[in-house]
Amino acid sequence: MAGFGTLCLFVALAASGWAIIASFNGWRIQSGELVLSAERAVYAVCGLVVLAVASLEYCIFTNRFDLEYVASYSNRDLPTAYKVAALWAGQAGSILFWLLILVAYAAAIVALNRRRNRPLMPLVVLTLAVVSTFFLVLVNFMARPFVQLAFTPADGNGMNPQLQNPFMAIHPPCLYLGYVGLTIPFAFALAALVTGKLNDTWFRSTRRWTIFAWFFLGTGILLGGWWAYVELGWGGYWAWDPVENASLIPWLTCTAFLHSVMIEERKKMLRVWNLTLVILSFLLAILGTFITRSGIISSVHSFTKSEIGPVFAGFLGLATTVSLGLLFYRLPSLKSEHRLDSFVSRESTFLFNNLLLVGAAFAVLWGTIFPILSEAVRGVKITVGAPFFNEVMVPIALGLVTLAGICPVIAWRRGSPRKLLEKIQGPVMAMIGAVAALLIVGIRDVYAIVAFALSALVLATTLMEFWWGARSRQKVTGQRFGAALWSLVDRNKRRYGGFVVHLGFILIIIGITGSTAFRQEAVATLQRGESFSVGRYTMKFEDHANHDTPNYEFAGAKVAIYNDQERVGELIPGHNFYKAGQDPSTEVAIHYTLRDDLYLILTGSDVQTGQYTFKAYLNPLINWIWIGGGILMLGSWFAMLPDLRERKRTVEERLATVEAHVG
Amino acid sequence: MSADLNVQQQVESQFMCYCGCANLTVRACSCGTADQIRADIARRLAGGESADQVVAAYVAQHGEKIRSAPTKEGFSLLAWTMPFILLFVAGAVLVLLVRRWKLAGLLPLPAGSGSQTAARLATQTGGTATPPSDADRRILARVRREIDESH
Repeated sequence: MAGFGTLCLFVALAASGWAIIASFNGWRIQSGELVLSAERAVYAVCGLVVLAVASLEYCIFTNRFDLEYVASYSNRDLPTAYKVAALWAGQAGSILFWLLILVAYAAAIVALNRRRNRPLMPLVVLTLAVVSTFFLVLVNFMARPFVQLAFTPADGNGMNPQLQNPFMAIHPPCLYLGYVGLTIPFAFALAALVTGKLNDTWFRSTRRWTIFAWFFLGTGILLGGWWAYVELGWGGYWAWDPVENASLIPWLTCTAFLHSVMIEERKKMLRVWNLTLVILSFLLAILGTFITRSGIISSVHSFTKSEIGPVFAGFLGLATTVSLGLLFYRLPSLKSEHRLDSFVSRESTFLFNNLLLVGAAFAVLWGTIFPILSEAVRGVKITVGAPFFNEVMVPIALGLVTLAGICPVIAWRRGSPRKLLEKIQGPVMAMIGAVAALLIVGIRDVYAIVAFALSALVLATTLMEFWWGARSRQKVTGQRFGAALWSLVDRNKRRYGGFVVHLGFILIIIGITGSTAFRQEAVATLQRGESFSVGRYTMKFEDHANHDTPNYEFAGAKVAIYNDQERVGELIPGHNFYKAGQDPSTEVAIHYTLRDDLYLILTGSDVQTGQYTFKAYLNPLINWIWIGGGILMLGSWFAMLPDLRERKRTVEERLATVEAHVG
Repeated sequence: MSADLNVQQQVESQFMCYCGCANLTVRACSCGTADQIRADIARRLAGGESADQVVAAYVAQHGEKIRSAPTKEGFSLLAWTMPFILLFVAGAVLVLLVRRWKLAGLLPLPAGSGSQTAARLATQTGGTATPPSDADRRILARVRREIDESH
């Protein structure tokens, strides 16, 4: 099967190369047959890569330890789910997986556009084929997944214990779906730039794909945070690790695009800016993969390092030069009349929202690459860690929260200050009430008060949007409130899906604020029967807890949890000692509630003296991060569904075009 | 944004753990190396060293890399200031642009631009707008009616 997989990848490279030649020449000489041939080559590449991935998985499942990749990232007793996940546990497999998602996207795009976007499709296929070819070159010549060892080990090294977690099994696929998904709008944008067909078609054709990529990138980031929380054993969820940052940066620019594209749709403005954001998001996604895979900035996530760094840098340079060159070349055609009816308008707030989102992306990127700059300029290695990012990002994040609170109450085109004051009164009262309540309960942390107060403002404005909309609809249709609310949301999924996203975002802000500003911790070394406390919880070390599985041995402690003398649960923190010989992994135990999490780690144990050392964190409101993340993802999914009003607007615009054409 | 920290915790927050297992500060990391550093910091502080002296000793021993954030001086100051300089400059440019676009919005649309789509379409097709026939008007009216009815 290894030979078959290698052959598939090689033939796929040839087919992908043909797709480049055929699509380019098909476009150049306007040959439908060549374009069709290129599109069929895309299907062929997809099929071949699927077969190569299936071959690798077959080798993993059949314990083919004569293959370097299988021996390095799997072992006989690795559970089935992790054998599937072993595909992306190492570098060669990760790149193959990246490629699999890319060619699947490409095949889907070709299939869905057999009758649509025909003038753009040859160049869309060209871009997708170029990117596929790059990754096929990597898996054929540099990061080869089917390399044979000179000998066959009896068992494999197994997967990195930290990766043996359900979140880690699904976090990379989500991230990759996001990263790779950004190739689709990029391909359409380049096609529009090359052909000069710079009307709305390119972004209307890809808006849902952009939200799709944004959705998965966001889900991947969220799951990564959750994985870090339950697996890494330090009580936090985001360490501002370069690899975490690499996923956040394109997500921020993509978020900016999803806002600013609305201005282009309504006002035909910001065409250059939107193209720039789409190009930037793709380039940053490639940069993210480069950072993850090249090991250029050492971090916990760079599990593997290889020589692919310079090749990635070259591809990134080429993609940057070509895309920005095309953009520059088309600048004269992209000139559009910029007119704003008022400073107080939804458009203005979106512009400032873009400023902050792109500013945030820059700040994260700047902090991430600054160690390289410092080393290049001063010759001194420095670290840019969490304290830097927390200090820089908090004001920007608060600015974004403020805009999310104000933006919905300002009308498109021209917001009336009187109407704005009228609409903002309730939310401002909610904000003042929140501040008063926080002061009454004794909270004095200024950042926390500001964050909670602004969150109250956004929650109020967003919920009132639903309320006002449903009441208006109720008046028009005479429906009951619930039916009117559903009808309102159903008729404009994009708008209200967006508001649901804002609600999720605010819950995340509340969770981050609570778990950062009010965190408590305690450390204690105990004998059996002894207790220690953190916040409202008392923990009593009751007994040792050991068990054996085919994959690892667990050694831990049984700890009873009391809240005001009442036993509320039992936690068993400990360590897994893997039989495949890797380092032991810390297994934290968490008592989850909506109010706070009790996070317990067994940091050390002395079998001879019977003394066990525990570290406990009390993380207030932390679960609202995951709940908010879930709501945010639901909202973005909802915004992707077919929208009656959007369809009507599109049809009306087309009709207006026809009417204008005939006079 | 952080919970109130005592001197010990403040010093712990200023160092990265060099255990190699995670990109965490000594305060956040729960590994054995971090435990040793924390114990050493506690010993130094108890021995009368100030927080600054402890930091200086660690930087002298391990280099700048042990600091969890760049210092706010020299070249490293750029790390802290650049994001805000950029935001400030871009914000100022944006305010100017918005003002200009608002002024443009106050002016009447250029003649004929009320039908920008028609003009663009005419340019793209290389033709001129043809007068609609009665049949065209009837079809358009019917399409409009059907759109309204279907929504």
